[in-house]
Amino acid sequence: MLEIRGHARGGQGMVTAFEILAKIFSKLGDYHVQSFPAFGVERTGAPIQAFLRVAKGEIYNRSNVYNPHLIVVFDESLLEQVPVFDGLRESGSVLLNTERSLENFKDKAESVFTVPATKISLEKGLGSKSLPIVNAAMIGAIIKLIDADIDIAKAVVAANVPVKPEANAEASEIAYNSIIGLGESELKLHEFLNTTKIEENPVDEDFLKSVGEPEIDKFSEPYWSQPMSLNKTGNWRVLTPEYTTKLAPCSSNCPAGTDVREFIKLSGEGKFEDAVEIIYKHNPFPAVCGRVCPHFCEQACNRNELDDGVNIGAVERFLGDRFRNTLPEKTPIRYEEKIGVIGGGPAGLTAALQLRRRGYDVTVFEAAPQAGGMMRTGIPKFRLPDVVLDEEIERIRREGVKIVTDKKMKISDLEDEFAAAIVAVGSHIGSKMHVENEDQIIDGIDFLYDFKLKGDKYGIEKGDEIAIIGGGNTAIDVARTALRLGAVPTIYYRRTSNEMPAIAHEVDEAIAEGVKIEFLTAPVGVTGSDKNFTVTMTKMELGEPDESGRRRPMPVQGSEYEIKANKVIAAIGQRFDEFVFDGNKVEPAQGKMNLDSKIPVFCAGDMAWGGTVTEAIGSGNKVSDEVHAYFRSLPYSHEENHPNVVMPVDINFTYYMPTPRINNIVKYDIDLYDNFDEVVEGLKEEEIVKETSRCMHCGECFSCGNCYNYCPDAAIHIDDGGRLRIDYDYCKGCGICVQECPCSAMTFNLKEVVYE
Amino acid sequence: MNNIKEITKEVKETADRFPRHEERILKGNYAASEAAKLCRVGFIPAYPITPQTTIVEDLSDKVGKGELDAEYVNMDSEHSVFAAAMGAALTGERVFTATAGQGLFYAHEVLHAIAHYRLPMVVCNVGRPSIPWNIWSDQTDSLAQRDTGWVQFYGESSQEVLDSVIQAYIIAERLELPVFVVLDAFYQSHTSENVWVPEQSLVDEFLPPKDRRNYEIDVEHPKAVGGLVQPEHYGKFNFKYWEALQKVEDLTNEIGKEFGEHFGREYQAVEAVNIGPETKTVLVTISSITTTARGVIRNHSDVGLLKLRLFHPFPKKSVLKAVESLSDDVAFVAVERNFMGDKSGAIKQELERAFYGERTNPIYDVYTGHGGKDVPPRTIEKIIYRIKNNPKEFTWIDIE
Repeated sequence: MLEIRGHARGGQGMVTAFEILAKIFSKLGDYHVQSFPAFGVERTGAPIQAFLRVAKGEIYNRSNVYNPHLIVVFDESLLEQVPVFDGLRESGSVLLNTERSLENFKDKAESVFTVPATKISLEKGLGSKSLPIVNAAMIGAIIKLIDADIDIAKAVVAANVPVKPEANAEASEIAYNSIIGLGESELKLHEFLNTTKIEENPVDEDFLKSVGEPEIDKFSEPYWSQPMSLNKTGNWRVLTPEYTTKLAPCSSNCPAGTDVREFIKLSGEGKFEDAVEIIYKHNPFPAVCGRVCPHFCEQACNRNELDDGVNIGAVERFLGDRFRNTLPEKTPIRYEEKIGVIGGGPAGLTAALQLRRRGYDVTVFEAAPQAGGMMRTGIPKFRLPDVVLDEEIERIRREGVKIVTDKKMKISDLEDEFAAAIVAVGSHIGSKMHVENEDQIIDGIDFLYDFKLKGDKYGIEKGDEIAIIGGGNTAIDVARTALRLGAVPTIYYRRTSNEMPAIAHEVDEAIAEGVKIEFLTAPVGVTGSDKNFTVTMTKMELGEPDESGRRRPMPVQGSEYEIKANKVIAAIGQRFDEFVFDGNKVEPAQGKMNLDSKIPVFCAGDMAWGGTVTEAIGSGNKVSDEVHAYFRSLPYSHEENHPNVVMPVDINFTYYMPTPRINNIVKYDIDLYDNFDEVVEGLKEEEIVKETSRCMHCGECFSCGNCYNYCPDAAIHIDDGGRLRIDYDYCKGCGICVQECPCSAMTFNLKEVVYE
Repeated sequence: MNNIKEITKEVKETADRFPRHEERILKGNYAASEAAKLCRVGFIPAYPITPQTTIVEDLSDKVGKGELDAEYVNMDSEHSVFAAAMGAALTGERVFTATAGQGLFYAHEVLHAIAHYRLPMVVCNVGRPSIPWNIWSDQTDSLAQRDTGWVQFYGESSQEVLDSVIQAYIIAERLELPVFVVLDAFYQSHTSENVWVPEQSLVDEFLPPKDRRNYEIDVEHPKAVGGLVQPEHYGKFNFKYWEALQKVEDLTNEIGKEFGEHFGREYQAVEAVNIGPETKTVLVTISSITTTARGVIRNHSDVGLLKLRLFHPFPKKSVLKAVESLSDDVAFVAVERNFMGDKSGAIKQELERAFYGERTNPIYDVYTGHGGKDVPPRTIEKIIYRIKNNPKEFTWIDIE
């Protein structure tokens, strides 16, 4: 009698293959056959077994095959999961469906044979990559092993497969001819096949003595108390779910690199100190950014698809305010290289701080009497009170950054004392409009600087009509400052409100305070002087989009008109001051510059890219990494790559309740004259905790328990650390957990998960 | 040495073994559906349940393809299946269905009714246990229906399933009794093996069409049936039923012999293997464990085997006759793939009743193979070793 045992995954057709083999044998000769599966409730993907007995006479055995003459493995991946070689007879053979070389399996049996049945089957269009139907090919290979007639086999295969009879028969024949490792096997298999000798059952006495009577202790609990644990179904799995932390869009969109999701989570748990530390890692200015950042994080918040993005800015401001007067630790100086930073704005200060934290001696040179850059000179106090900026800069100083003010420096000034220079002078030179009589027009950037630092009102008096040209934050800040000087400001912008680069809520606040804005209009020329100006304007219309993606404004022919104003202020853009480069023409860009200088020069901040405080901070972080990498010979790359960011399409919004956003209160005093109090209020602690509960935790498990509730196999449990975990002994890979995860904190893929 | 390629050129010896048969490779469930078709059953109520499903599935296919002229009705439960079977049998139809485990338990109430209305039919049960939930081989479900009065046959191969269904219709219809032909789950139901399927004409010659008794219900001649039976009459019904049951054993042997003459395969109520002067131990088995035991005892000349094919009514005469040559110290081992909610398994209970006042042999009970646990030759060896060396009245094997 010949006994064959097969191993496959449910759905690959092995049980059918063994039945077909039985039919083939009955056609090959006067054989008794018996084929059957190891009966189970297994479904697609589960490891299954099938058995075949063939004998010249009656088969006196109706039990599973434990000691086969031939073991056939339909699915290579089972080798890792199932003890497929168990019980092989001493002179038995093994047939594997694999493309790997025989060398890999030498130690498994005396005679091992391989056949690329998956490849053959897929080439013949039988099954799919994840579940190829390899039965016909495996039949062909087995027929070769017993040196039987392939034509009879092909005919039986074709007559018995449910679909594609020709492709199946061909697969059998290709496999028959593709077997590798042919040796003595066929002779031995023949012998077994044709012997009618009664086999003795060599069973040792010890085995016979061990009756296997119940061990009472093991049965102290009734079976139903742990019904799942006895039936380990995890090896049915073809696809594997896994908890995976993915990037949230708030975090991936923060130019500073802040782990936004994390500090929101910690804030929600009341762990404010831990939360602010998360921010401080990348951003020394949370109190500033909480006020003045356009909050790219909120704009990208997936919650915008449900109701409104989380008020992340308020949380950041709360944390920054709570900790801005705390005293940080100073890192010891570890490195010889001294770094000089020209420019004490957000980029320069951040770069300096990060290098100081790494152990470099860093000095920042600031041209203005106070550090802070545009935060100091360009942002009015009613948006950013001095104390906020002072305290956050003081923390930087406390961490060991030396800040020298009133010191306008060039690169050449640093060459003797410093090993490297970081240039981050910002964009403090207002752009020209190139209209007639331009020298009579006030530069918006200069106006904000001079008013804030020197109290210079540029002669603006109560009741003056002020014409402000531009649509960015400078224009808005100029207008709101003029309003507080008692003037009547009007902003003239050449596009529409949709294209305004200013932060939207700043625009709203300005309008609410009484600033007028005229859209689709641009100046052509200015006449007059002192407090008596006539500005010739032309109407504009929007044409095709330009390189910024916004529609290009085009003058409307013959639409010129005149306006009267006591002052004209231009705020149409800024550029950097070339003084730092000794007046040389240089095109600044992020990172190490290609300059003819004695020391390496690195560039960061507004002069390189961006235009917001947070972008400047991010630029400072990057440049500090690059400087450190430069001196320590470490690899460094600008490349930023955010794969796997959770998008709205990944979120199951049905699992979130719409909840109103808690907005900051904006104060609109009736009389703003000489009132430079902060306009926007922060949130209180309880409001912060409540607002953070609106976070959807995109891409990070927040233990909602959906997976636990939905798992049909009860394969998900809560571990000692309170974390949800999958027990892969029982997970069949149905994927319901992944489907029902509200926040896309799970993935589902072909790889097996290695136990922790 | 023989080369298979040469073998294929030989004329198969078996070709002439069973004339007017076709050799096929069939699973037990398909042997059952094939048999129902060959018996030209006229009514099949059906409800699926593992491991029986492929029987009614295949019959549905056969009816759908027009290979079998029968009324096939999908029912909403097993209780309804048996109620429909009862109704159809009352009209005189030849009825067939199949069920298993929980389905059979659910139909229990109707089983009594069918038996006590004396309605002939043949039903295949593919044995599985109840709770804890399990779909594998076990005879508890059908053995627990013993006292409903249905005749019960157990077989060990697909061939025997097919042959027993044919014989069962003759016995059922002649004695007006319902008959179960029980298959082992998977070891029979899902095992493909050689089956010699007789030609239709061969079966037709053996099994006549169902005769009419003129008391079937008939829409042309309305009447009421199933009414209340008064105390003074009730015992008469049971007496007649009892009388019919007494004839089952003899008729089984008689039909089995006739079947052998007609088809070439003879069957009896019991089968004795290797029982003779040397015998010290007799394994008493039903169903597929029998086959494995046959193989094992080839290496044990002092171990005999008594296969019970007819289990209910218990073939007392045949059993006593099979072992009449044995002395009273020969050990009988009841191999129980069942649990009757009692100290003894079903086989030991029946053997004790049969031996009472007749023989004094020790009867040992071995519980094994429950819920489909495999009973390989090694397990049978263990049983033999235990009984020879350290016999106990009750032994549970392979429970560790």
